[in-house]
Amino acid sequence: MVARSDVEALGGDIGCAHVSRSLSAASRLLAAALLSGAALACAASTSSSTFREEARLIDHRLPDIELSLGDGRIAHLSSLWREQPLLLTLFYRRCTGTCVPSLLVIRDEIARTRQAPEFRALGLSFADSDTAEDMRAQAQALALEHDPRWLFAVASPPDVKRLADALGFWFRRDLTSEQYDHPTLIVGIVQGRIVRALLGYPISNEDLRELIWELRGRFVPYYQLPGQLRLRCFEYDGRTGRVRPDWGLLLLLAPGTIAMVIAGTVFTVGARARSGGAARRVAEPLLRLRPGVHKPSA
Amino acid sequence: MRQISPLTLSWILVVALLFPILIVLGIYMRTVQAEQLPSLQSWFYPVMTLHGLGMVGLWFTAPLACVADALKRYVKPSSTIGWLAFGGTVVGIVLLLVCVLVGRFAAGWYFLYPLPLMGGWPQWSTVLFLVALTVLGVAWLLWSLDLLRAIAQRYSLTHALAWHYLAGRNEPEVPPLVLISTVSLIVCVAALIAAVVVIVLFFADMSGGIKTDSLLMKNLTFFFGHVIVNLSMYLGAAVTYEVLPEYTTRPWRTNRVVALSWNAVLVIVLLAYFHHLYMDFAQPTTVQYIGQIASYASSIPAAVVTIFGALLLVYRSSMRWGLASVLFFVGLAGWAIGGVGAVIDSTITVNAVLHNTLWVPAHFHSYFLMGLVLMTLAYFYHCCQGAAAHAERGVSRWWIMGLTLFGGYGFLLMFYLAGALSVPRRYAIYPAEVSYGAGYAGAAAAFAAMFLVGLLWLLGRMWKRWAETSAAPT
Repeated sequence: MVARSDVEALGGDIGCAHVSRSLSAASRLLAAALLSGAALACAASTSSSTFREEARLIDHRLPDIELSLGDGRIAHLSSLWREQPLLLTLFYRRCTGTCVPSLLVIRDEIARTRQAPEFRALGLSFADSDTAEDMRAQAQALALEHDPRWLFAVASPPDVKRLADALGFWFRRDLTSEQYDHPTLIVGIVQGRIVRALLGYPISNEDLRELIWELRGRFVPYYQLPGQLRLRCFEYDGRTGRVRPDWGLLLLLAPGTIAMVIAGTVFTVGARARSGGAARRVAEPLLRLRPGVHKPSA
Repeated sequence: MRQISPLTLSWILVVALLFPILIVLGIYMRTVQAEQLPSLQSWFYPVMTLHGLGMVGLWFTAPLACVADALKRYVKPSSTIGWLAFGGTVVGIVLLLVCVLVGRFAAGWYFLYPLPLMGGWPQWSTVLFLVALTVLGVAWLLWSLDLLRAIAQRYSLTHALAWHYLAGRNEPEVPPLVLISTVSLIVCVAALIAAVVVIVLFFADMSGGIKTDSLLMKNLTFFFGHVIVNLSMYLGAAVTYEVLPEYTTRPWRTNRVVALSWNAVLVIVLLAYFHHLYMDFAQPTTVQYIGQIASYASSIPAAVVTIFGALLLVYRSSMRWGLASVLFFVGLAGWAIGGVGAVIDSTITVNAVLHNTLWVPAHFHSYFLMGLVLMTLAYFYHCCQGAAAHAERGVSRWWIMGLTLFGGYGFLLMFYLAGALSVPRRYAIYPAEVSYGAGYAGAAAAFAAMFLVGLLWLLGRMWKRWAETSAAPT
């Protein structure tokens, strides 16, 4: 809008309606382009900062806290990650925002792994008002109460704070709505060490799939980098985990190919020169330089 | 008596001037690693860059100068282009000296992206470094193309690549020098084009902020680096094929096996560089396997056929064992020893242990220092000797050989032992876990100094032989 009014003002000043209209259209285009660019830059920047936040968590060790599970058992977090790799997500029962949709995405993605459970998922409530009974109700609401891969738990507020601090996870209670302001965080834990983290909502299915692959013991050597590069040798497909050739590969093939073409051209030109009789003039004196060398090819 | 051409003589002078200086830089590095010279430690990485770039550049151009000289027996390269390449190389060297010694550019001779853009040195030194590479690249590309043009004016491509030998025909006779030079020059053009792409992408990043995939840049850089180093070896082998028969009085001709092996090199050398990227997990596994297979395959045709051929050439011949012929012979041995070290390191499971340890400089110093360098010096000495009025006499040549071999192999042994004990490369000061590397570094510096004495003696003797030529009546 600023751009439009500025340009219209300019058109008015020079007293030409046609120019003003043209400039107005141009200004709209320009403004749209600038806004698109700004939006893209903003998205790239957000993506970069999220990536950095996630990367910062890798290799961090988590504190061992006591959990009250939805099925009534008391367990330590360490006992869970010692048995199997653990997918941990933080939520609260009465969330009307992203908690339930996030849990649904995780549930559905885990459900796609039909093999025997090789890891476990833990939904941990960070709200001090939640109880173990609420956790059982949550499991029922998601139809997960009989799924051995899933656990829901609460912990004491000091323990939750220790864990949240270790994860860099923040939550703020809004007294008017009784809701919590909080980000969405999913971490993969192997032997108490974070191997991968996903921050933010909506959750990327591809990223979540990679996290699950990693928990199942598959080495995932690729990570989608923010700010796409123009040229790569290979492009990683996050949906399938496969690698396919990309345009940059042509740059790798180019030197050898161009060299062969150049060699072919040089020798073709040389052949024309030879057939023109130049070779004979050059070769005969040269042949005399070295006894025993046979006559060159035609 | 054959006169040395002024261009070849100029190259000999450049080598005689630069090579000892670059060795002194190498001795400095090993001395710092031996925890000596504390006041000069901050120069380690600029010196490492200069030593690496200087040696690779020098020992690419010197054997190429030998080949250009030897090819004059069969074809007619342009002397203007030869001098242009010489001038371009000198200018490139001066620019490199300025960017390293004044700008303290220290990205190593690999200059892997994006390190040159992120080091603590001023940006002008990075720009100057890239300009230097551009000047060198253009000069060498013109030189290579001119040599190819010269060959093309006498031989067709199929004849120059000796394909008619594969079909069972021996006519027209193509000397191995022409075959190997053709193969080497074609891959040289490919390597230099890869360097051009790398430089363009660097400039695109520096001027336009266009980011490039680091893995793509690493692939291109090692394509260039690996190929240029390997073809330098092939150029050394080419002149050995040409000159060694003059000492054995037996011909060393092209045949079907030689033709097949060097044509195989043309393809395989372009693929073997993948072994430099074993640690790059994002590189597809298939490519890693190609790297290992190509590494194994590239050593058999070129090295085994050449070395076996040389042994047959020498065996029970009336060989004249002079300084030049001994240097050629031990040069081939150095190529074989370094080649075995390289093949060991190119094995993926072994590379997981030896990667970036001192084993790596051990093997490339083996085939460069005790292989290519000796072959090239042999050719230069052969030129001076051939031009000399008197036959070679005296026992000093055996002292020269003794110092060169004992110093050279002692120096290499320290690298191999330290590498086998997991001492990392490119550390100015070794951390406590591998502090024993300092002892090996100190011993290596002493052995290298011994090699340097042998080299200076050899250069002095070469100078003397050339001086005799000047004094002799023509």
